[in-house]
Amino acid sequence: MNITRSDSADGTCILTFDRQGSSANVFDRATLDELDAHLAALEKETGIRGVVLASAKPKIFIAGADLNAFKHADERNLADIVNLGHGVFSRLNRLPVPSVAAINGVCLGGGLEVALACDWRVASLDQSTKLGLPETQLGIIPAWGGSTRLPKLIGLPQALGLILTGKQLAAQPALKLGLIDDVTHPEYLLESARRLLARGKRAETARRLTSRMPVSALVAAKARRDVRAKTRGHYPAPLKAIEVCAAAVGAPVPEGLAREKAAFLELVRSPECRNLMNVFFLQERAKKIQLPAADAKPRSAVSMIRKVAVIGAGTMGAGIAQWTSARGLAVRLKDINPEALARGMHAIEKVYADAVKRRVFTLPEATAGLDRITPIHTDVSLTDVDLVIEAALEKLEIKQQVFRELERAVGPDTILATNTSALSIDAIASVLARPERLVGLHFFNPVHRMQLVEIVRGPRTSPAVLEGALQFVKAIGKLPVIAKDSPGFLVNRILLPYMVEAVWLFTEGVPAPEIDRLMLDFGMPMGPMRLGDEVGLDVAQHVAKDLERRLPNPVPINDTLEKMVAKGWLGKKSGRGFYLHPTKGSHTPPNPEAGFLQPEKSRPSNPASRLDRMVLIMINEAARVLEEGVVDSPEDVDFGMIMGTGWAPFRGGPLRYADTLGAAEIVRRLEVLVRDVAPHFAPCWRLREMAREQRGFYDADAATGPGRDQTIQLNLPAVEPRLDVDVPLVSGSGPLGQRVMPAATPPSRQAAGVK
Amino acid sequence: MTSPLYIVDGVRTPFCKMGTALAGADAVELGRTVAAAVLARTGIDAGQIDEVIFGCVGQPIDAANASRVIALRAGVPDHVPAITVHRNCASGFEALTQAAEKVAAGRGDIFLVGGTESMSRYPLLYNDSATRKYGQLAKAKSAGQKLAQLLRFRPGDFAPKVALQLGLSDPVCGCNMGQTAETLARDWRITRDQQDQFALQSHHRAAAAKQKLSEETWPVYPRGGRAPAAVTGDNGVRENQTMEALAKLRPVFEKRGGTVTAGNASQITDGAVALLVMSEAGLRRTGLTPLGRLVDYAYAGCEPARMGLGPVYAIARAEKRTGLGLKHAEIIEINEAFAAQVLACQAAAASGEFGRKNLGRDRPLGEIPNEILNVNGGGIALGHPVGATGARLVLTALRELNRRQARRALVSLCVGGGQGAALWLEAA
Repeated sequence: MNITRSDSADGTCILTFDRQGSSANVFDRATLDELDAHLAALEKETGIRGVVLASAKPKIFIAGADLNAFKHADERNLADIVNLGHGVFSRLNRLPVPSVAAINGVCLGGGLEVALACDWRVASLDQSTKLGLPETQLGIIPAWGGSTRLPKLIGLPQALGLILTGKQLAAQPALKLGLIDDVTHPEYLLESARRLLARGKRAETARRLTSRMPVSALVAAKARRDVRAKTRGHYPAPLKAIEVCAAAVGAPVPEGLAREKAAFLELVRSPECRNLMNVFFLQERAKKIQLPAADAKPRSAVSMIRKVAVIGAGTMGAGIAQWTSARGLAVRLKDINPEALARGMHAIEKVYADAVKRRVFTLPEATAGLDRITPIHTDVSLTDVDLVIEAALEKLEIKQQVFRELERAVGPDTILATNTSALSIDAIASVLARPERLVGLHFFNPVHRMQLVEIVRGPRTSPAVLEGALQFVKAIGKLPVIAKDSPGFLVNRILLPYMVEAVWLFTEGVPAPEIDRLMLDFGMPMGPMRLGDEVGLDVAQHVAKDLERRLPNPVPINDTLEKMVAKGWLGKKSGRGFYLHPTKGSHTPPNPEAGFLQPEKSRPSNPASRLDRMVLIMINEAARVLEEGVVDSPEDVDFGMIMGTGWAPFRGGPLRYADTLGAAEIVRRLEVLVRDVAPHFAPCWRLREMAREQRGFYDADAATGPGRDQTIQLNLPAVEPRLDVDVPLVSGSGPLGQRVMPAATPPSRQAAGVK
Repeated sequence: MTSPLYIVDGVRTPFCKMGTALAGADAVELGRTVAAAVLARTGIDAGQIDEVIFGCVGQPIDAANASRVIALRAGVPDHVPAITVHRNCASGFEALTQAAEKVAAGRGDIFLVGGTESMSRYPLLYNDSATRKYGQLAKAKSAGQKLAQLLRFRPGDFAPKVALQLGLSDPVCGCNMGQTAETLARDWRITRDQQDQFALQSHHRAAAAKQKLSEETWPVYPRGGRAPAAVTGDNGVRENQTMEALAKLRPVFEKRGGTVTAGNASQITDGAVALLVMSEAGLRRTGLTPLGRLVDYAYAGCEPARMGLGPVYAIARAEKRTGLGLKHAEIIEINEAFAAQVLACQAAAASGEFGRKNLGRDRPLGEIPNEILNVNGGGIALGHPVGATGARLVLTALRELNRRQARRALVSLCVGGGQGAALWLEAA
């Protein structure tokens, strides 16, 4: 039972969605059939004067379609599901009596499409109310009438603004767009719905100017250009959406629905769609990561973390403090230098101010968030603090000193965490009387945009502390991946060899923009040269050297970065790196003086092998990460790389991509590189094994390998996937704990910490 | 007092001249900063606090009960009540003594008290005529009515009332505070030179005590600025103040023959102070160690036109209650509203005639020795954010008692409208 019907004396029939045994309403085949049955009955009744669609769930109207249905359905089934949706929603639309959707809570995807099929819509002012069509973020388009009815209702440009971005609107902005007809408090939804029903059936609205030829064609052409520029043609769904929406505005509904269906069936078969859906499932999985039973709750109860101290008010410390405070926790931000605190607080204020500007927060909410941060410049008692996150300078001795002092200042149950991006957790913990209380919490920069947090388990980190760290990361709405204490952990371990290889290419004479273009075309949000500039060349060199020193099979680094750092070229922060970064303007031409680092005549490196050198080196390293048990599963690797670096989501992550290439092919190409370029391309043991056995990373029986047993096994509870999260098409990237510009669409709902 | 009140910890913002470093923060923001700092420094669970009491003379118009807003914004949970108190310049004392009274009455053990003032943010107000006309305009319905109401405005309606100026004037005697100081200067024959000397001493003492004073301050990070800023120190102290420079200043309140100048009066200043105070039971519950305790106190009324002598009346009244007299004090703080006013207090306290006539004593009140008076400077150098000053005197005196390992301090101030306040403090 998913829908209950109740009729009131005035002839209003209320159909209430209330999926049994679930906290969410979703559309699956059974729900559609049930709705259809109710509508069929209503068609025959005479006493009914209007129909209201409502939800019994407190924060969800209808969260969308059941994605599992897509995951396992074959093409016939998919076509059936689309047809069923079209049929039921059209039936609703054609009812002889008026209908209204009374929306309180999340109303996304199929949820909004059923609302669009009603004559009227009213939404509540509750904070949970969000309306949107996120389908393109998953590589498909709204295909239950959304791509047809929305542009007809609100106009083509406005509809594309919603559909191409997956943007989620609160009630007020939705009213302004004409998406809904009234807003009210949740308590008064039914009253409002009755008033709307009294208006009768909705009359055909006149077509807007922007929906007529030739304006609609111009709108579509412009949208197409913008999408192509942003996605470099890697994402077919937005282009299809433009095509379908533009055609829908001038045609009868049934024609639009037919186009939706054809486009949907084409898209859903594409690897891009499969991979984007997988990213979505990976996010859902990360939200539900748990420690295995043996490790869980060894401490009587991991008490809720309420008070947090952050040590160091630099970029990372300030970012962590901002995010944590935005999620309602009290934060003490400590730095011995008041000037540093002033800079940190100023940066935090800016993040909040931006969030207010973008209406993520109201002004009082932002003020309250800022108020939760207390800047501290002296030694104060930290005995009442539940968690301390150290974000001091990335030097072992400094961090050790910080923790020596911290251990004396905190209470016996305080969890100690370090935000190091490269140092050994165990080396830092070695100065503690109780080294088991230290865990790594590696945030990515900018903290308010990057959802990933690497939780790093040192060899001595206690299960209780790990559990506490995991609870904290979940509580602040970040997505965790658990990694073993090893050089570079997960993300930097894989990313650094790639950056180092890019520097090799540069040293051989390939121009920086050419290197970056290769990787942008591949689907990275930012090229490696520019990434180096953003991260800071000194930082990149420091981390690369550290990895070279500590890893058994490192990528050897050359002296190019060293020479650049010696000249004071640190990248963006010094105004000069591989590119010039003038303080004004956004034009950043290649650094004209960097030529001395390159040979007069570039070595004739094979242009075709350049991409392989940068991409395959990541895959090889990712395979080693699994081989060594740094993380448990290929899912962890792909999830970490996509969320931590923006690794081409439509390719599904490095290991998913490796599986599409096939291990044998990768090994073959790596061996070519060993022959032609350098020995460090030698394929690792795991890749060679997989090539021999013709297995992929994601094949079930591939899940064993050396080192795997010692690490944490993840329990994956049943996932009920919904369309209620936006997947970054091309997400911002920020490894190494440094600031990296977000690349393209869409604005993350995470922005600045709103739930 | 049967149940003493212990002062456990306290900090203040730097005191900054009106319109300077702290002008961007209102009284609530200043109070919130120090309240949050005290909570963080002591690590106390703010839910244990029985009430939050802040003094504030000119409350922000958008925070009618400033204390409540300060409390909530500093992270004190909803269930803890808050009250803002107002006894003019003694508002910071009033916060503390109300906590003492509540403890004595068995109405709580732990209080967060203090005082806050943003004199930069005192508003300009519409005068009564304009206010009335705006009111009628708001009621007008038709466009014609609205136009008619608009046409009733006259240029004089737009002359604002200056809240700061009005606040520093006494509606009963019709004097502003500076004029009351001029009256005392005439009564007690205090010359311009004596006043300037006293002002110079205040600056020199405050400059010499810079390090000590920094121990009681907590930085403010004002919001809304274009660039990052940390306000870490008082900015009213003039290390290079000279008699020549002071002598050049013109009298402010009586242009002809007056002696009170901007140089020998307290500065108009922004600042806030927070103190965590508790009963003996509170100390036991929290395990915190006190800085010192409030032994007893007295408020006294006096002639509004000579409000500057308020301390003398209050000290006399406190002596009746406690038996503690000037000779028992190892350090004394008397707020420097005006140099003339403090000097007049010294003279009146030493005067047998004043004692007989005004205090009903057969002997003078006693000597207020300059060596132990305002040893780290006072309002002339540091400024006088009216609602905060009382709490600052308590904090400064307690820290000095601890530094000197001395026992008793007497802190006192005069109150506009004709009052005085005197508190006896003891080191813990």
